[in-house]
Amino acid sequence: MRFRRKRLSSEAVSKYVFLFPGLCFFTFAIVVPFFMGINIAFTDWDGIAKDYEYVGFHNFLVAFQDKRLWVPIMNTLEFAFWGVIGNTVVSLGLALLVNARTGKLSVAARTVFYIPCCFSAILTAFLWNFLYKEIVTEIFAIKNPLGMPKWVIICIVIMQLWNTSGINMMIYLSGLKNIPSDLYEAATVDGATAFQKFGKITLPLLMPAFTVCITLALTSFMKEFALPLSSTGGGPAGASRTISIYIYENLYRYNKAGYGEAISMMFVIFLVLLSTAIQSFFRKREVEI
Amino acid sequence: MQNLKRKKKRKEILLVFLTIMVMVAFFYPIFVAVITSFKENREISQSVMALPQTLYIENYRIAAEKSDFIRSLLNTCIVTFPSVVLIVFCGAMGGYAIARNSERHRGFRLMDRLYLASLMIPFQIMMIPVYKIYKNLHLQNSLFGMILILTGTSVAYATFLYVGFVKSIPRELEEAAKLDGCGPYQTFFRVVFPLLKPVTVTVAALHVMWLWNDFNIALIILQKDEVRTLTVKQYYFFGQYTAEYGMAFASAILSMIPVLIFFLSAQRYLVEGVSAGAVKS
Repeated sequence: MRFRRKRLSSEAVSKYVFLFPGLCFFTFAIVVPFFMGINIAFTDWDGIAKDYEYVGFHNFLVAFQDKRLWVPIMNTLEFAFWGVIGNTVVSLGLALLVNARTGKLSVAARTVFYIPCCFSAILTAFLWNFLYKEIVTEIFAIKNPLGMPKWVIICIVIMQLWNTSGINMMIYLSGLKNIPSDLYEAATVDGATAFQKFGKITLPLLMPAFTVCITLALTSFMKEFALPLSSTGGGPAGASRTISIYIYENLYRYNKAGYGEAISMMFVIFLVLLSTAIQSFFRKREVEI
Repeated sequence: MQNLKRKKKRKEILLVFLTIMVMVAFFYPIFVAVITSFKENREISQSVMALPQTLYIENYRIAAEKSDFIRSLLNTCIVTFPSVVLIVFCGAMGGYAIARNSERHRGFRLMDRLYLASLMIPFQIMMIPVYKIYKNLHLQNSLFGMILILTGTSVAYATFLYVGFVKSIPRELEEAAKLDGCGPYQTFFRVVFPLLKPVTVTVAALHVMWLWNDFNIALIILQKDEVRTLTVKQYYFFGQYTAEYGMAFASAILSMIPVLIFFLSAQRYLVEGVSAGAVKS
């Protein structure tokens, strides 16, 4: 009897022991910084000094009047707009190509389309900076488009699509593979055209993949940071500076960590609301077979 | 009938052609990087698109030397692999505990939700506090500190993947092991953990890739040259040598090789993971 109780208690303890190491790391890297961030957002900490003062909602009020914040907000939205459209078109297009079953070619195509995903944003930015500066200018006889405020965002979006479309392609691809082929056969018997089949079968049944991919694309483009930072540094003249870069600059360049954190708080709340809204919008439109 | 067949054939050729064109377009930037890395500066300024006349290997030697390639490669390895081991270890145990107890225990259910909710938190909000914590703890420029933060920011996601998988394996084996006198820890490491191999491979492969390419965290924490990982090192290196393309591209290719080798050998698991929607944004 005594033996039994001892074993039971060790089992009762063990489940907490299992949870403990992960929870420690998680607390250190997520929970503590999260609450500390809330704290910092209400101070005037400059990022260097040991002490700081609480300023209440001052940082948040300043943000609403900060004219310099407007440009990054608009840029971020522009990134998100072109990013989501581009990502949906390119990833779905690639997935359809790979899914067209051209034998060994489609396996090779899948690999080639996915390879750029292995490279870091820094590498991508460097590679494409060279392409824009040396090759695009030579072929089209234009100035470097990364230097033009009007085109810089589109150019960076193209880099990012090359770098990351492979991921969403995989998600679309597994969605396409799950569509039963007898649906297409039945449609063919009924005399449906290729476009009808795409619109009436493929698109509706791909809705779960759309939910995942569009949410992912939207949030990742809203958080755009490494690519513009390393390819243009946010330039020319702030034309590709995003909210994330602005937060980073408040820490390292302007020495206004408290203010930067206040912006990031509002930004995060906005992001969470946005992605929840998008997800529920698409979930409602998902159909079941 | 003949006509239909011919039409189908034509469609197929068109598809093959289109696929190859897109593949070429995707591969072109890498191709340019490879040929440029073998050119002398003089050749690059003459024509950027031409093939190199000779294989100018010197670029690679200088690049490895100037960008301190071996050291940053080592730094990246030192940071990536222990973190992945820790992530797998913590994720598997935590996932097991949550999956087996969340039905009866409110605490574990709450933990599950907390991990899930934390996936929504973007890095931007952590940037400044993490900088502050690391400054106070004197963990800046420490690879050990880097391992702590990379593990901490990844553990929730890994646990989440494990929870889903553990729920799909039956309890009978564990119960049998317990009847045979195995304690809970023995049961986990001898019986359960081996069963988790498929998800472990996926979790490990995905995280090797993500941590290897991590830039945001390394940028905040690793300020000194000698501790920089490949991505941060290159961020500064490329900014410095914008004129010497041959050498810069050689360094780019050098850093592509390990990750490409890893991708081609772990491709199957990565693809499985990503297809299942295992993507962190």
